[in-house]
Amino acid sequence: MAHSTQQSDSSGDDSGLRDRSDSSVSELVAGLSFAVPYLIIAGLFLFGPLLLALYMSFHDWNALDPGQSQFIGLENYRILLGDPDFWNALWNTVYFVILTVPPIVIGSLLLALGVNRDVKGKWLLRTIFFSPYVLTVAVVGLLWTEVFSASGLIPYYVGGGNWLNDHTLAMPALAIATVWWQLAFNFIILLAARQNVPDRLYEAAKLDGASTWRMMRDITIPQMQNPLIFVVIVTFVGSFQVFGQPFIMTDGGPSFETTTIVLYLYDTAFTGREFGYAAAVGYVLFMILIAVSATSYYFLSGDKR
Amino acid sequence: MSVDSRNPLEAVSLSNTRLRTIALYAGLYGTAVLFLIPYWYMFATSFMTRDLVYAEVPYMIPWDVTLYWYEYLLTNSLIVQWTINTFILAAITTAVVILIDAMIAYSLTRLEWAGRRVIFAVIVASFMVPGIVNLVPVYIIVSELGLVNSVWGVVLPSAANPLGVFMLVQFFKDIPEELEEAARLDGFSRLRIFSHIVLPLMRSALAALGLFIFIWTWNAFVWPLLIFQDDAMYTLPIGLVTLQDNLGVTEPGIIMTSAVIASIPLLIVFLVMQKHLVRAVEMQGTTK
Repeated sequence: MAHSTQQSDSSGDDSGLRDRSDSSVSELVAGLSFAVPYLIIAGLFLFGPLLLALYMSFHDWNALDPGQSQFIGLENYRILLGDPDFWNALWNTVYFVILTVPPIVIGSLLLALGVNRDVKGKWLLRTIFFSPYVLTVAVVGLLWTEVFSASGLIPYYVGGGNWLNDHTLAMPALAIATVWWQLAFNFIILLAARQNVPDRLYEAAKLDGASTWRMMRDITIPQMQNPLIFVVIVTFVGSFQVFGQPFIMTDGGPSFETTTIVLYLYDTAFTGREFGYAAAVGYVLFMILIAVSATSYYFLSGDKR
Repeated sequence: MSVDSRNPLEAVSLSNTRLRTIALYAGLYGTAVLFLIPYWYMFATSFMTRDLVYAEVPYMIPWDVTLYWYEYLLTNSLIVQWTINTFILAAITTAVVILIDAMIAYSLTRLEWAGRRVIFAVIVASFMVPGIVNLVPVYIIVSELGLVNSVWGVVLPSAANPLGVFMLVQFFKDIPEELEEAARLDGFSRLRIFSHIVLPLMRSALAALGLFIFIWTWNAFVWPLLIFQDDAMYTLPIGLVTLQDNLGVTEPGIIMTSAVIASIPLLIVFLVMQKHLVRAVEMQGTTK
């Protein structure tokens, strides 16, 4: 907009002004016509549904005949807060987040810093660590189901029978598969971020005789702050929405111990047909994710200001 | 790491440096081996005879090799059909996303119209909406539109990709304005400038975005699972999972072989296009 005023100022006389207003109408038409396909689709499948979900969450939604749905105010939210299945799913999700986020973030950081060093076979290591990125959750799920099965690799070498049927081992099993799968994306982001840290900072620190640990604490980590915040938040949000792994590997079991919040939402909606209630669960999850993202952003970037 | 070039003070800690180097190599290559074991297990199992697959010991080497599982899957399942379906779905989605994301990104960066800043801000904010909040309402809209069990029921909900818009906006900003000015003086229309000048210039950014969208759609799980109800329509990820359910008992040979068949195409794309893919992922990290 600043740009358009400048232009009309520079073209002084009346005819110039008229030109400008003509062209700004045509610019608006041209601008909108290029934007409109996106706006229609986003309206229909992104923003519209967001409002519809809110509307649904205040109703006892009739899946067969939406016209018969009844407005019940905050009733869905009230039921939800007293629903032990919801709390179980929420706790399982938090447990999964705790089991996956630190290893993914720390693991990808260590691998990125390691591969950035002057090691032989860098490209090979990079290829190996990044490769799970292109696997679908279906392959990851099936592959690791076999690895954890009674006659699979892990029970044979580590012990413990079929991990996926075990009350204490099922969730760690899902977490291991997830870490293996999800490290890749963060690894590449952090590797790029590390390569963007100027070498002269390290050269100067070396002249001052700084230790490796010191350089890591005072140069690497602060210089990579923004990508690190990005990685933490993306991993948090991703792990909070885990669905495919429990759906494929454990079906939420044994006895609902791996039923995560999205699996619970999916089941209430598409098995139980409780659309209004499921929409309320979705909104609560949304609020939690906003809170978690804002909190991690606050804590990770707070001391810099 | 050349030790001799270091100053005398550091020579004292020579063994320390060497130890660290050894630890670094052991850590990196050790982790790499751990990363590869699941792949190896998957490939190896897919070539093992039934006796080996069902042995008490999880064998890592198929010393009794067979192609039985591959033959079985290719003749007794729709896996070829699923592969074709997945390819078509991913290709359509990629084309649609690139087109509409590039159009709005062009409009937001190269055309001056009131309201574009607000719209851009809204698109950026829509990153924050987790797909899962919209699971139920989008499903209802898709079924109201009669798109259940249709390719468009999967394509349209993912067609407006805010990340793609944001990535492309960063690139479109850098196109020199003179190029467009010159074209306009030559009487090129907006559409012609877009299709003949802007898009060709942005080829590499569009390719990176396209590759990312293609892989993302190829691997999509939740939407195809909800939308496709007829097994001839399934995509590979959904087909694989139903295969396991339909067998009743788990047949490790079939499951591992189907996993191999499903991952081979993308692992090849990955090895060939790795450089572009890395760039696409880096673009996400720097733009988001």
